[in-house]
Amino acid sequence: MKPKRLLQLLCLLLVLSMVAAACGDDDDSTSSSGGTTETTASSGGAAKELKPGPGFDGTTIKLGVLTPLTGTVAIIGKPLTAGNKAYFDSINAKGGIAGKYKVELDIQDTKYDPPTTVQLYNGMKNNVVMFAQILGTQPIKAVLPQLKSDKIVAQPATLDADWVHEQNLLPVAGPYQIQAINGLAYWWNEGGGKGKTVCAMAQDDAYGTAGLDGVNYAADKLGFKIAATPKFKVSDQDFTSQINQLKSAKCDAVFLVGTAANLSGIITAAIQNNLQTQWIGQSPSWLGVFAQTPLKDYLAKNFWLAAEGTTWDDTSVPGMVEMVKVHDQFAKDIPVGDIYFPFGYFAAEAVGQVLEKAVAMGDLSRDGIIKAMNSIDKLTFGGLTGDYKYGEPADREPPRTTTIYKVDPARPGGLAIVKQGYESDIAEGYKFQ
Amino acid sequence: MIGSTGVNVVLGAIVSHKLLQLSFQGIALGARYALVALGFVVIFRATQAINFAQGGLVVAGAYLTYNAYHTWDAPFWLAVLFGMLGTALIGALIERLVLRRMVGQPTFTVIMITIGLLFVINELVTTVWGTDTLALNDPWGIKTKNALDVTVLVKDLWTIGLAAAVLLGFFLFFRYSRMGVAMRATAVDQEAALAQGISVRRVFALSWAISGLVAALAGVTLASGPGNLNPNIGLIALAAFPAMILGGLDSPGGAVIGGLVIGLTQVLTAGYQSDLGLDSLGAGFKDVVPYVVMVLILLVRPYGLFGTKEVRRV
Amino acid sequence: MGVLSLPSRRRAPLMNVRYQDELRLFPSPLAKFGIALVAVAFFAGPYVLSDFWLNVLNYAAVFAVGAIGLNLLTGYTGQVSLGHSVFMGVGAYVAVQFGVKNTWPLLLYLPTAAVVGALVGAVVGPFALRLRGDYLVIVTLGLVFLGEYIFDQWESVTGGNGGTSTAAPLKIWHFDFASLTVFGKLFTRDAGIFWLFWAIVLLAALLAKNLVRSRPGRAMQAVRDRDLAAEVIGVSLFRYKVGAFAISSAFAAVAGAMYGSLQQYVSPSELSGAAGLFLSIQFVAIIILGGLGTIFGGIIGAIVLQAMPKLINRYSDKIPFVTAAGGGNDGIISAASLNNIIYGLLIVAFLVFESRGLAAVWLRVKAYFKTWPFSY
Repeated sequence: MKPKRLLQLLCLLLVLSMVAAACGDDDDSTSSSGGTTETTASSGGAAKELKPGPGFDGTTIKLGVLTPLTGTVAIIGKPLTAGNKAYFDSINAKGGIAGKYKVELDIQDTKYDPPTTVQLYNGMKNNVVMFAQILGTQPIKAVLPQLKSDKIVAQPATLDADWVHEQNLLPVAGPYQIQAINGLAYWWNEGGGKGKTVCAMAQDDAYGTAGLDGVNYAADKLGFKIAATPKFKVSDQDFTSQINQLKSAKCDAVFLVGTAANLSGIITAAIQNNLQTQWIGQSPSWLGVFAQTPLKDYLAKNFWLAAEGTTWDDTSVPGMVEMVKVHDQFAKDIPVGDIYFPFGYFAAEAVGQVLEKAVAMGDLSRDGIIKAMNSIDKLTFGGLTGDYKYGEPADREPPRTTTIYKVDPARPGGLAIVKQGYESDIAEGYKFQ
Repeated sequence: MIGSTGVNVVLGAIVSHKLLQLSFQGIALGARYALVALGFVVIFRATQAINFAQGGLVVAGAYLTYNAYHTWDAPFWLAVLFGMLGTALIGALIERLVLRRMVGQPTFTVIMITIGLLFVINELVTTVWGTDTLALNDPWGIKTKNALDVTVLVKDLWTIGLAAAVLLGFFLFFRYSRMGVAMRATAVDQEAALAQGISVRRVFALSWAISGLVAALAGVTLASGPGNLNPNIGLIALAAFPAMILGGLDSPGGAVIGGLVIGLTQVLTAGYQSDLGLDSLGAGFKDVVPYVVMVLILLVRPYGLFGTKEVRRV
Repeated sequence: MGVLSLPSRRRAPLMNVRYQDELRLFPSPLAKFGIALVAVAFFAGPYVLSDFWLNVLNYAAVFAVGAIGLNLLTGYTGQVSLGHSVFMGVGAYVAVQFGVKNTWPLLLYLPTAAVVGALVGAVVGPFALRLRGDYLVIVTLGLVFLGEYIFDQWESVTGGNGGTSTAAPLKIWHFDFASLTVFGKLFTRDAGIFWLFWAIVLLAALLAKNLVRSRPGRAMQAVRDRDLAAEVIGVSLFRYKVGAFAISSAFAAVAGAMYGSLQQYVSPSELSGAAGLFLSIQFVAIIILGGLGTIFGGIIGAIVLQAMPKLINRYSDKIPFVTAAGGGNDGIISAASLNNIIYGLLIVAFLVFESRGLAAVWLRVKAYFKTWPFSY
């Protein structure tokens, strides 16, 4: 055969297959072999025995976890995932969801990298009921279009306010905007900050923008001007110019939208340039080990953290008592006082509540999970974080409480409470798109 | 774009405290670049190869020091010495096991090999020490000193001092020591050097070892302080490329000057960006400036400011 | 019949006796057989492979197109670039602007991506005239950081630092490859994309093969082997160096547009900056592994280097001494680390021991059978 003829044959084959495609264009029938689509198992009413479907074989519920286990953000991903795991271990020890369906986690390392997340998602999506965790604003943004087209629900381990009204996401806790509003309002109203100079310092990305939204809202409602807003990149090593900007603006308080990866460098530059100000950090900016470094004296004097929940030794909060019990039984290697373990724990509680509801409604299919989410009135966490009003996506309302911590090197985790569950009156008025 | 207010700001800045503070900071950053770039230059002079694995050596040196200091409780200076010698050994081993086979191969092949080695070194480091950020907690810590109305970190002073000392050491070594002269001879003409009884192999191995020594120093200055040691510190090698290219690939003095130019450019750009009303250029602007400077200078001088021009024949 | 006559079943080996034979697109019956096999695999793939495998192969297709482009630049023209990922970014964002925002059809935005990619590549090309060797490598490395800055700043198109959704339509006429129906059977997104992308790979390979066996191809190779000499015999360095940058960038841009529509999301921090540099390095590794200066090498290299990390990751729990991707402390080394070490060692090993890559290994095997019974 001459090469030319071979080419012609190939083209012919291609054209034929296309015509074949055209013939069947309107047909909707599906099959489950190879790369063809699978029909999701869905049963109408509340059946006694649940139908198996993707990720559910009739006895075990498989959930996906996409989280950074290596790289700079692993310091957040590891304890958070341990929180997920400890919660489901405790549920499995009691027999499982609804007392009979064991939960199994498929945990994969995203390295906090969006394309890796998407690729892992594709490899996993047909084998899980839902995703118990996908960590990071960028990774979530990367998989969201596919979550929507695949009708899969994921729990986002990020507090961006954009997630509140998304059908395919199961966010928990107060968004970054609320943390910023409450943090600044507390300093302004109760911390003697009224009338003083406020600044902000933010990461140059979507996370930074989310925090700054809250700062701007607080400025508007409390009636102050933001004197300076230096920005930085996550890869920055030297923060002198940003600190100089804050210093020349004579800031009395600086709201910091950053992560623990940069805190050491920022605070070192602040000490070097003798910047005395009240730092208020967004929740991902803290790590317990900072209280053991030479930075601790400065931090104890100048640093607050706007975050969730309460400290580990707070016995007045039933959710915390329960979590500590689970921690001691299932996750001993996570140090007491860690602030990301509780997040993983209560996020898993939210997933658990949705699964319970879905089982009660007799449908663990993808549609079933969505229906269950839409029919839950509110997710509760025993005080670990504020109640989250659920229901149809448009009706969802995150909690508007924030706990203000200060640094205390003597305590486990390095944090002591300044004000627990603070809800400023201006936070109430913040609208989520 | 820069209005009259902008001009006033510039004029006011010339004598300001801010300028002094930023300049010091720029010099400190530049000294770090210079330390990395000096490592590149030593290898390039001897072997005509750009070592992309230099970032890996920087990381290895920092972690070896950390290990000696924390796990074995050695005094800090001894730990640093151990880190330097360990990294020098790694460098010499790489040369002996891999690069020696590649003598005479195209530039691109050697570059790709060092890139392959970079992956291997980095992953061996993360396999041994993990990816979490560690605190070197060196004696420099966050101590500061005041001089000339500016506050300086003790570790920055050390960084600048070390870069200067290494440059001086290079100068003395290449000028007065037998081996240094042999290395210079090899750089000029390998065959002639061989004919004079110089062991080119030993020169190559020694270049890699010296480069390892300097890389470890760079690693320690980058990792010093509370919570700065993680495998990503090796990425500084990418930012040091413009410094090295600016100075010319084979000039140690050029590497230091290139490092200082790039360091000062970055810090001053970041410092005055908002004063000049250029906030719209974004926080990433200072990071891209070194590359722009590099490209512009290369267009005018294709072999850098102090590099040797290549003679080409058909 | 003399004494020297061979037994009749011992046919003389296949030899190219005319220059035209050397230039033929598909040189031997063996190649034709191979092509037939590939054609079968192409049509049968989505029927037998799971979504996981199809997804792996779809990424491989994207990288194959980009690698074919880089091979034209590096393997055939001898110009090294560590900035290939930026041109991918250009293509991805052309697809966003025209495919997603202006809803142009595939057959319009894909060629547009190629044209824009070529134009941007042609702007970079002249640097190759002025700079040589190491200096050129570092300048192209600077390109990934310049690219990152521009992508970051151009928020209206790229979504800035936060990235943007890139689900450009994958429709030709009224075949939507994102949900393809063949003979009344609905295929998954990955299955439909598999056919589309590998058809594009085929097209790209044919284009490239035709280019290198014609006059420009020979000129490019002359520039690679000794550019001054080439200029002396009348090959325009400007034309071929700049042209090679433009063409390779066009391929990269098409790969970028494919990447975007496959992944439905891209951010500047993956196609430029430090991650972009590692992506560019991966392209170079692909053509080294596959074989510099061969079209087939780019494809085989892309498949191997794309499949390897995903296989290691997926079967990490079954490989001894390896910590499973999902954590656990039972291993010595993590799957990610193991993968990177193998990756690094592959680059080193191929350059040291077989610098002509897998394609050369294949040629040796083929030559053995082709010249049988005279295989010595």
